[in-house]
Amino acid sequence: MRDYWVSKLFFDMQQPQAAEEYRANRDKVLDRYPLKPEMRQAIVSDDVATLAKVVNPYLLRFFYVAIGKPESWFLERISKTAQSKEAVHG
Amino acid sequence: MAELVGAFASSHAPLMARAWESVDPLRLGSIKKTFAEMGRRFREANPDVLVVLTPDHWVNFFMDNMPSVCIGVGETHESPPEPWMKGLPFKSPWQGDPELGLYLAEQAFEKGFEPTLSYHLEMDHGVAIPLWRMGLASLPRIVPIIVNTVEPPLISVRRCIDWGRFLREAIESYPQKLRVALMATGGLSHSIGEADMGRIDEPFDMECVEHFRSGDIASLVSFLERKVESAGNGAAEVRNWVMAHSAVQGRGFDLIGYHPYPEWYVGCAFATWNFR
Repeated sequence: MRDYWVSKLFFDMQQPQAAEEYRANRDKVLDRYPLKPEMRQAIVSDDVATLAKVVNPYLLRFFYVAIGKPESWFLERISKTAQSKEAVHG
Repeated sequence: MAELVGAFASSHAPLMARAWESVDPLRLGSIKKTFAEMGRRFREANPDVLVVLTPDHWVNFFMDNMPSVCIGVGETHESPPEPWMKGLPFKSPWQGDPELGLYLAEQAFEKGFEPTLSYHLEMDHGVAIPLWRMGLASLPRIVPIIVNTVEPPLISVRRCIDWGRFLREAIESYPQKLRVALMATGGLSHSIGEADMGRIDEPFDMECVEHFRSGDIASLVSFLERKVESAGNGAAEVRNWVMAHSAVQGRGFDLIGYHPYPEWYVGCAFATWNFR
């Protein structure tokens, strides 16, 4: 199930000015979106595993590119989502 | 009457724009040759209008309204908005062909399809990278047909076959004398933003190519229905190839190049159909 407002935030961050504002004042940007508390926490803490469950994978990747995370940083975290799935499924 | 003069398929890995030089000179040279051959065949086809079957990478559409198939009927289209596409030689606006676009839309409704229409679209990297790297000096008029291959639920592979047949009939019934080419963009295997991001499924890609080569549309559909989801979310874009393949009745698939470059995350493949 998608989370609309997390998706909308990530979609909007494709605009360079929006991403720049996010990097400069993250909380101000997040305040404009009616995010569920647990989703806001996931965004603030860069909890890729949680976010991957509720947004389109392309948007997830675009978001972290837009806010300036290195590709290696993202790949390391997204690959761990497979390990957590394997752990759950035993 | 209009005539279908060419059918092309091309991957559009973003890193072919963002990091073109990230592969070694030997492999870069190899893919440059592939693109050059694509460009040669494209110029030989000499289309007045290019109907592009392409995904939208969250540029034109969002979850507020996510059409399954959208026909671009604008007089013009915007060039890619992605910041990393600034090197593209084709500047806005790109010329559309609203008469042909509207004709295709009207015929679609007549024949039992329900596309959405857009009078203003941005052409993202999915359209732009193939045209750029093929080295075209200028663009023909473009009628984009955006197929949702990024956010499920997706159009079925079987329905893509129907769309392809329809497009061929509709193009060839268009009353103006016009040279029309088809270009399918995307694929083959790749995974973006998923746990296995970067994985290229070469066995899938090779089997896929063999099914296209065989011309056996039923077996292609069966194969893709069973396997496409396992080849990464980006592999869903092969639906555009299926539409083009169906439009030419499965005839004459010719793989020009296959470049599974891990630096670009994509099993990059390039083909034309020699159907005439």
